[in-house]
Amino acid sequence: MQVLRYIGRRVLFVVPQLFGIILVSFFLVKLIPGDPAVMMLGPTASEQSIADLRDKLGVSKPLVVQFGRYMHDVVRGDLGTSWQTTRPVTEDLFQRFPATLELITLGLLVAIAIGFPLGVAAARRKRGAVRRFADYYGLLAGAVPDFWLALVLIFVFYTLLGWSPPPLGRIDMAVIPPPTITGSLVIDSLLAGDLRALLSALGHLLLPVLTLGVINAGPILKMTQSTMERTLNSEFIRYAETCGLPRRVVLRQAVRAALPSVLTIVSVLYGFLIGGAVLVEIVFSWGGAGQYAVQGVLNADLNPVLGFVVFSAVLSLVIYLIVDLLYFALDPRMRG
Amino acid sequence: MIPVAVSGDRAASPWLRRLRFLAAVLRARPAFALGYAIVIGVILIALLAPWIVPYGPMVADPNVYLLPPGPRHLLGTDGTGMDILSRVLSAPRVDLTIAVLGTLISAGIGSCIGAIVGYYEGERTWRRAVSTAVMRAADVLQAFPVFVFAIALVAVFGQSLHSIIIAIAFVNTPIYLRLMRTQVLAIRRYRYIEAAYVAGASDLSILARHVIPNAIAPALAQLSVNIGWAILLTAGLSFVGAGVVAPTPEWGSMIAMGFQNVVTGQWWPSVFPGIALGLTVFGFALVGASVEVLADPVRRRVLSGTLG
Repeated sequence: MQVLRYIGRRVLFVVPQLFGIILVSFFLVKLIPGDPAVMMLGPTASEQSIADLRDKLGVSKPLVVQFGRYMHDVVRGDLGTSWQTTRPVTEDLFQRFPATLELITLGLLVAIAIGFPLGVAAARRKRGAVRRFADYYGLLAGAVPDFWLALVLIFVFYTLLGWSPPPLGRIDMAVIPPPTITGSLVIDSLLAGDLRALLSALGHLLLPVLTLGVINAGPILKMTQSTMERTLNSEFIRYAETCGLPRRVVLRQAVRAALPSVLTIVSVLYGFLIGGAVLVEIVFSWGGAGQYAVQGVLNADLNPVLGFVVFSAVLSLVIYLIVDLLYFALDPRMRG
Repeated sequence: MIPVAVSGDRAASPWLRRLRFLAAVLRARPAFALGYAIVIGVILIALLAPWIVPYGPMVADPNVYLLPPGPRHLLGTDGTGMDILSRVLSAPRVDLTIAVLGTLISAGIGSCIGAIVGYYEGERTWRRAVSTAVMRAADVLQAFPVFVFAIALVAVFGQSLHSIIIAIAFVNTPIYLRLMRTQVLAIRRYRYIEAAYVAGASDLSILARHVIPNAIAPALAQLSVNIGWAILLTAGLSFVGAGVVAPTPEWGSMIAMGFQNVVTGQWWPSVFPGIALGLTVFGFALVGASVEVLADPVRRRVLSGTLG
């Protein structure tokens, strides 16, 4: 019950924020120079046809009117059309978002698998090789650009060793992709029982997921380490130690108490990566949502950009809600 | 506070003592020394670049394209025949200018707005409404996908150094705004603020003379880390083609130019600028970590305790 009230309050706060985001991005995007009508028709179009198209697109009306029309469409789930793909933005995004989500979800799982154990191990001792390694790993992971690491991995694992497939999309050209159900190629090929497609999709996921995992393990490591240090010095852990509980049990209690803040950093990273994984997407020609938005900005194709902002805002909202529910599950103090 | 004699050299000038303390810290934490060395090195390279590069950083010699690292071109040449060493050494000029200016602008604007917002928050006047509006605006700005936002800003202002600086300043401002506001909210309750008010000082002079100097420390500690982060963002913008214009020597755009070569086996055009970039950001992160320790009295005491 308390949970429901909490969620209700959160959603209430989000509506004006969502409106603000759409408002700001609308006017920002409208400031981008470049006339979509001219770009769609090409340089040889006549004045008359450009003027006609501008009327049809509604771009000759005052901005406030355009914004009203856009909001009117958005609440009905219509995000306009992209002139580059000539398809409705909603369709494009529903096709591309699963690609991005599959990538960043797996990437973050790898990041947790690296960062969390390392952080716990580093927090247990003040000096030594593990501690030193963790300190440098945290700083270096934050210093290396992800698109560069992706290139280095491609060079080593594709060019030199030939272990991974070429960095061209999510699945081999020669392999027929499984029928789309969830949009995630791994899940879809599992559902279709298509082993060949599954292996190909996993192979293509390997390097981008590794890139994101190695880079994002840095912040997770730092957060785990600092929280664990604080927890290990806290009174309830000292009490547990004084009671003579075995080290393993004490450590398990400390890890349990540190989980909420690790969850926080993971959710922040998730929200950031929806748009932040775009550079890795570009390197691997992933065809994800971030790439779609960047192409939109660079080609004055405004609806995809706005659509992406709306989608990722809604998605971050959903993620933060899920995280809040997980807090309730993880942290007994939240339940009151 | 009760003055405590820490060491015998109280007669020494405070500057000398500070320097000795710094030297002791650097001996105890060699990583910090490494950070300072990297940052100073990069700044020197940025200043001296035109005199130390072996070739023109934007001069392409089509006869020697994609030459592997060798005696004539220490780091090799790229796909158009430009010398990679010269370009890697010239890049800090662009990257540091953008990152430092962008960070300083965001810190300046963000801290000022944050101080004003924090100072007036909770008053029952129109200023309160303004404060709330500013904070909600910051919420909205931070809810944006950073990278797409930055690219859109560059697209709005046109592709130039100025617009990249503006974009970086814009996306970083909310960080300083929040830092400063939190600090000021705590500081404005102190007696010396009241005393200044009773003495008849105007709000502006209280802010400038008493509030901001006492609240600025966390923002300063954030600067160095933020510069590194801004370098990464600049490189990312150039990588997608929304940053500096192509032949300008800049690490991110160099990595992008060598992208296709890496797949076919010529790793050097992309790998070297990436290493330079990573080292620089690493250096700034270390300096940031040292500032964090030195600015925090508790951790500073722990450190001087271990110094003996």
